[in-house]
Amino acid sequence: MAATLEAEYAFGAEVLESRGKVVKFAVFQRHEEQGAAQEHELVSFEAMMLPHLDAAHNLARWLMRNEQDAQDVVQEAYLRAFKSFGGFHGSNGRAWLLTIVRNTSYTLLKKNRAADLTTTFDEDIHASDRQSVSPATILEHAEDAELIKNAMNNLPAEFREILTLRHQEELSYQEIGEILKIPVGTVMSRLARARAKLREYLTSQMSQEK
Amino acid sequence: MNCEEIKNLMDAYLDGELDLITSQKVEQHLRDCPKCEQAYEVETAMAHAISQAAPYYKAPPELRERIQSSLRNEIGAKATRSGIRGSQVMRTRKQPEARATLLGMPWNWLALAAAIGLAAIVASSFLPRLKQPGPDQFLATQLIASHVRSLMADHLTDVASSDQHTVKPWLDTKLDFAPPVVDLSSEGFPLIGGRLDYLDNRPVAALVYQRRKHFINLFIWPGETGAARPTMPMSHEGYQLLHWADSDFNYWAVSDVNANDLQTFKQQFETRTPHH
Repeated sequence: MAATLEAEYAFGAEVLESRGKVVKFAVFQRHEEQGAAQEHELVSFEAMMLPHLDAAHNLARWLMRNEQDAQDVVQEAYLRAFKSFGGFHGSNGRAWLLTIVRNTSYTLLKKNRAADLTTTFDEDIHASDRQSVSPATILEHAEDAELIKNAMNNLPAEFREILTLRHQEELSYQEIGEILKIPVGTVMSRLARARAKLREYLTSQMSQEK
Repeated sequence: MNCEEIKNLMDAYLDGELDLITSQKVEQHLRDCPKCEQAYEVETAMAHAISQAAPYYKAPPELRERIQSSLRNEIGAKATRSGIRGSQVMRTRKQPEARATLLGMPWNWLALAAAIGLAAIVASSFLPRLKQPGPDQFLATQLIASHVRSLMADHLTDVASSDQHTVKPWLDTKLDFAPPVVDLSSEGFPLIGGRLDYLDNRPVAALVYQRRKHFINLFIWPGETGAARPTMPMSHEGYQLLHWADSDFNYWAVSDVNANDLQTFKQQFETRTPHH
């Protein structure tokens, strides 16, 4: 290896010598700058985006509903984000990253399991009367992590994502609208529908217990 | 407001998305109407259930490592594709394959490859490289990256103004601290504007000054009280860095001006800032 490198070195020097030292220097300098700029970009990307890793993972986990897919999505999303980082000039890194995580999730959901995108919601559940269960009963069950998790996982993807963005990430309607590419008014109505669905599901579970 | 209107506004009310006046009207109605009040309690319980009881899936530590190594591979792959320079990946793992293909190539391609190879060797041996970056070195790299990006991406300022009375209030509303802002035009460092940046895991203020054709980024964030350290001039990859601190803030000035100019800049800034 050393011999080959030496040969390359000697030959390279000769070629460049013929074009003049100034050119040689300029070439080196440009390569050096490009490489350094790339490393800087990575450091700056990581400093800005890695703090949002938990948020990215949480969203992907709720959308994909399994750990392995969630991790694959997040890794792919970070790679996509890094490739388009040069085009990002905003100040809300978290919303920008979550948009990419969401798009990546949907790509995989569409490819693998088209059924996940439509509601798996049982129509019978809708029939139950929301007034039949008191707030106290709901409050009582509100601490039941397993019940809430199952209820959330029973919702279609568009409801799962909006509930986690609002109640776990505590994003504003404006930010959610940016991520989901929908107007603020639609954010409000979709959130209302998502919470209503969740409530209906919980109500049905509770009345079954009785 | 009637119950139907309240029903439509309830979600936005719960999420704190209503303006103050409408919000007060809803509040008033909820006080007067037990039926709506009960519905609101259910809504609150639901919101509470999701935020408190639903699991929040934190990323496992190995995912972070996977991501970081895949990003580094990406840089390595790019460098190999465009023949930019000898990154670690290219010099160690990729070298034998690269050599095997080189041997089968026509002469002029070999010449080009040799030139690039030479550039890679020279670049990698002369580039000041951080073997074991300490916290300051790591921060320095971040600072320079931020400085370079601010110039490259055409995003030097979020608020472009030479008026300190415009820049300061803008920054104050965006940050949880109030950085000192002074215009140093008369000292030869006119203020160009301000920008929000993110460094050392926190939002920081970046003030942008000009020195002839060069720009100076001054990054400011609150320091720990009593942690004031002496001035540390640093030179890193062709950029000058100057760090100082007063009782309230950390300051990092980054620029490609010469070290003396940056020192002068620091002195002028300190003289003109009200507190020390």
